[in-house]
Amino acid sequence: MDGWNFIRLVHALRQVSVSISSQDILEAQVCLDRFPDLSEKQILKSLFIHHPQDSLMFETIWRILLENPKSSVLNHSKDGAKDALLEENQDSSGTGGQGVGRGSGGVSLTAKGNILDFSHITNLIPFTRLEELTCNGLEFEEIVQINLAEMDYYTWINSYDLAYQRSELSEEDWYTHQNNRTTLMREIKQQVFTAQVSHENSWEPLARQHWLFKPLSTLTDEEKGLVKSSIRKLARKLAMRPGSRWKISPRGSIDISRIISQSIQWDGILFRLSYRQRIPRAPELVVLCDVSNSMAAFVEFLIYIVMCLRARFRKIRVFFFIDSVWDVSDFVWDDDLGVVKQEIKSWGRMASSGFTDYGVVFRELAENQLRDLSSRATLVILGDGKNNFRPAQPEYLAQISSRVRNVFWLNPLDSQEWNEPDNMIKEYQKYCSKVYRCRSASDFQRVVKDVF
Amino acid sequence: MQASPLDLAQVLKEEGYLIDEESATTLFLSLTLEKPCLIEGPAGVGKTQLALALARAEKRKLIRLQCYEGLDLNKALYDWNYAKQLLRLQLAKTEEWDEIKVDLFSEEFLLTRPLLESILSPEPVLLLIDELDKSDEEFESFLLELLAEQQITIPELGTIVSKTLPIVILTSNNTRDFSDALRRRCIHIYLTYPTLEREISILSSQAPELSDRLTKDVCEFVARVRKLPIQKLPSVSETIDFARALNALQKETINYGELMGTLSVLLKYPKDIAKLEERLKKWETEAQHRH
Repeated sequence: MDGWNFIRLVHALRQVSVSISSQDILEAQVCLDRFPDLSEKQILKSLFIHHPQDSLMFETIWRILLENPKSSVLNHSKDGAKDALLEENQDSSGTGGQGVGRGSGGVSLTAKGNILDFSHITNLIPFTRLEELTCNGLEFEEIVQINLAEMDYYTWINSYDLAYQRSELSEEDWYTHQNNRTTLMREIKQQVFTAQVSHENSWEPLARQHWLFKPLSTLTDEEKGLVKSSIRKLARKLAMRPGSRWKISPRGSIDISRIISQSIQWDGILFRLSYRQRIPRAPELVVLCDVSNSMAAFVEFLIYIVMCLRARFRKIRVFFFIDSVWDVSDFVWDDDLGVVKQEIKSWGRMASSGFTDYGVVFRELAENQLRDLSSRATLVILGDGKNNFRPAQPEYLAQISSRVRNVFWLNPLDSQEWNEPDNMIKEYQKYCSKVYRCRSASDFQRVVKDVF
Repeated sequence: MQASPLDLAQVLKEEGYLIDEESATTLFLSLTLEKPCLIEGPAGVGKTQLALALARAEKRKLIRLQCYEGLDLNKALYDWNYAKQLLRLQLAKTEEWDEIKVDLFSEEFLLTRPLLESILSPEPVLLLIDELDKSDEEFESFLLELLAEQQITIPELGTIVSKTLPIVILTSNNTRDFSDALRRRCIHIYLTYPTLEREISILSSQAPELSDRLTKDVCEFVARVRKLPIQKLPSVSETIDFARALNALQKETINYGELMGTLSVLLKYPKDIAKLEERLKKWETEAQHRH
């Protein structure tokens, strides 16, 4: 591997928030030098990738940079690359046959029936069409969706789903089909990345798809797991800050004064050792969580945050609300989020109209719950501030705010959206200690660092 | 020290561990660079076994530190022998100052725990820090100095540098994520369930008494089970147990109808077993269709 490609690879990886230290680079050079027989990719992957979840990103970048002769990304010979692309695509529509009528050389998955050749999967994907969509400035997910639809992907998977349900499809075939699905999906994403990276002439599109920065509502299951584990870590950090008080404990640091005072009982002879430990400071937390429909995409994470906080904090009160407040502090929580969601749904149907009304909620809280809250409590509101054109009644939030130590508002919407006419966050903002945008895992990390 | 990943794979094979090429390369690089190796992956894919086999292959003494919640510096690294110090103080009452001028914080009163032991050891050792994810997060930061510099600092004694450079292997089941500082200092191997071919060769090397037919059948069956949405997927060791169990029952092949009762060797949750039994019926009818 020449030095230029090496530097480009390191640069690209750093752009998509894979951290590579200078020591990593040094070691990589040593190894490349000492073991010319080993695969370069293997060496670099072993030395650069420290998180299993980053390895997919590495593969993507490696392919774009070093295995993709047709698109010379970040090079200036873009025109040349395009010509090569066109040729490639004509080839594919030639072999595919059916795809010609679809305008840009797309291949229909259903038309090809069961004889799909997944070893040449790249040829199935109309790269020029992807480039066209990319140039129109569409988002990553949108391009993928459009492309899937044009390939009749949904008809294709539905027909297999049906066949499997009717048990016309054997289990082996079903698994093969599932694998094909994943391969196809991965390949399309890879192609879209390639198109986007070459279009924007930067690694920005890849960085945007990193799980830390993706909006919570568009995560895949795997990424959800990552986000949850980072939330769990943060919640733990929150709860584990040592306080200034000590308690006697079987382990910890030596408690000299206690040992001496005890030794007096035995004529100054040291007989038994005492240890002590700091008592973790337990902050009082009151969480208000909006569970209405406008929040549906985020509710899963909000509930997860709440669950993690609940597991860690002794003094925590949790309220769900839509247009009335539901105290769920004593609710028994399963690890299964599905159950909780179901509960919320049935409660929502019973106790509310389904439209959020912050004014009423704050009034209810101020009138009924406020006297139970201590002045050291922190109120965390999770909601988008959309009030459905009802009166804001900020005076109640003002009343609450004067009684507790801090009010923090975590809002999943972008700050531009806060100015929309039905959004009341502007009204409430002045009574909050701070309002944060909280739509991705990295946002949440920042909030935790800032607030607690 | 082996000259290439293939040699490494070969010596590990002689010790009864079959490693795939990618992991062998990574492990080889970590040995060459003298960096700690962090092995991650689901339970039962042979993470600890790899470390044990490596210790045998490299002819190093194994020092093992099993992590658990609440494990702290005093249990893992070193501790002062307070009782002994107290005894020394008691004795001091009867002596002259010159005689009792003993440093209470000298090696005499130091209790070595696994991590310090591996640093002090005069012969080369392999330090296995098992299931690091079970330990508390604070514990990770104790490890950083050891992992990066192969040394330990004890405030009262100063820095102790290792003379023989232990090979350090850490394993984790991913119950929690590690800090970037720890990850940066390690080389990573991610082990997953073996491929069908590799599992067949593992099984035939671990349980040579089985017939080829049964070995193949069992591995295919297990590979199929691993695709089901169950809580705990069968591990390699469970595959071996399952094959031995079938052999003990004088079975020569796998017959879906006759497996009830043996499944608890393979799966560990009643819910999972129920799910599999349901599938078995389906597979049985499918198999009959085919014949």
